[in-house]
Amino acid sequence: MKQSRAEVIAFVGGQILPHEADVRAWLVRTGGAASDVDDIIQETYCRLAGLDTVSHIRNGRAYFFRTARNIAIERIRRARIVRIDCVTEIDALNVMDDEPSPERIVAGRRELRQVQRLIEGLPQRCRQIFTLRRIHGLSQREVAARLGVSENVVETQSIRGLRLVLRALTQTPSQACRSADQGHDLVPVRKRDR
Amino acid sequence: MTSFQSAKEIDDEAAQWAVLIDGRGLGAQDDPKLQLWLAGDPRRAGALLRAQAAISLLDRGRALAGVEAAPVTGGARLFGRRGLIAGLGGVGAAALVGGVGVWASRPQRLDTQLGEVRRVPLADGSLVAINTKTALDVTLGARSRLVTLRRGEAWFQVAKDPQRPFVVSAGKVRVRAVGTAFSVRRGEGTVDVTVSEGVVETWIEGQPGSRRRLAAGAGVLLAGPISPVIVKSPAEIERGLAWRNGEIALDGESLGEAAAQFNRYNSRQILIEDPRLAQERFVGLFRTNEPESFAAAVATSIGAKVSEDERYIRLSLNE
Repeated sequence: MKQSRAEVIAFVGGQILPHEADVRAWLVRTGGAASDVDDIIQETYCRLAGLDTVSHIRNGRAYFFRTARNIAIERIRRARIVRIDCVTEIDALNVMDDEPSPERIVAGRRELRQVQRLIEGLPQRCRQIFTLRRIHGLSQREVAARLGVSENVVETQSIRGLRLVLRALTQTPSQACRSADQGHDLVPVRKRDR
Repeated sequence: MTSFQSAKEIDDEAAQWAVLIDGRGLGAQDDPKLQLWLAGDPRRAGALLRAQAAISLLDRGRALAGVEAAPVTGGARLFGRRGLIAGLGGVGAAALVGGVGVWASRPQRLDTQLGEVRRVPLADGSLVAINTKTALDVTLGARSRLVTLRRGEAWFQVAKDPQRPFVVSAGKVRVRAVGTAFSVRRGEGTVDVTVSEGVVETWIEGQPGSRRRLAAGAGVLLAGPISPVIVKSPAEIERGLAWRNGEIALDGESLGEAAAQFNRYNSRQILIEDPRLAQERFVGLFRTNEPESFAAAVATSIGAKVSEDERYIRLSLNE
């Protein structure tokens, strides 16, 4: 049964996107370069975009880890030089599949804090617009009227804000604090020597 | 691909499209320029999904915090963080109750006025969306979670907790869930249960044979023990729950049914004065509190005549 696009978007927003920073951090830990990590994450969303339905996915977090892992393994297989530590690290992830879905109780609160953090991290103008539009549910036109600006300004600021939000979503809260003033590029963390 | 874009460049373009679609409505999704952009690189579809999902994630903040529409007055003060934080305060307090393991056992009364829709997070992490003219009592105990639907309609997204079953009672009808989402509506002598996620068990008190399980995609209108189960598509269920966003989604309903839907939310009632007109089918998405725009849309698309006064919006055939 095909689901509507809106349902898939809502699923990805609620069950996949909130875990992106963790998946990225894990990929970086296993030795992935920042650009590889970007590509693996993007490929994961591409696969989701190609699905007719997401109703078979019971645990979004586990699905995200598993898909990223499969993509990483495919990439390693295609690459000429295989780094052994990548494969072992990635295989160790098998346990992830069995990880119980985090309790909704905690998830709800954490999600709310995440949304709060994302909006508070925006520059003043964007934040006003996002608060009115997303939290209070005003239309673009109503936001423009409320702030006494044109709809065009609201749109431009929304695009700017969404770009910042998309970048912020790549970082876990602790990373976000550390690199708040250093732009948004991920710094690959060197793995411990074996 | 010769001019190879980085993932970040694609993300930036996707953000632009996501905002355009969000601001201009779903029609923008069919924009040929968008289709051209998507066709240019297979990665773009994924990036667009991610950008739209980010918007949806931010919207979930509203749902979770139970923030209602912004007050009309209040001016610039609203634009700070106050709105969001005020909304979060309630959740923080609720979370605190859950965190220390003390469950409120006194029933909590939740109700809505005509035309009002509220989303309320419960202390156990569940979420209730409450439709127009509804009253319910919530009792969160150590062994069970009970909701008594006094009247109206509500949708429940239940936090998983196998130790404490979540039971909704509506008259003699009971609906039990462990971790799932479903809606219950009390009508005249009937109770409509629709499951959007997971499985629920329904039964009628005092009728042992009435117990049955309903999975996602199923609905039942319980009037007696042999009520048939109605299978609904996810899209149909989602459409039926459009009220959670203050919307009425019509997809081929008759004007009579549509009018009845609007009349649930507004004191200004829609009257369809000709039975032939009431049979006409209609498609569209409207705000629950704007019966006038519905009437205007009917007038232009079907060619009906609208006359309005304080209490009624009358639709008649244009003879």
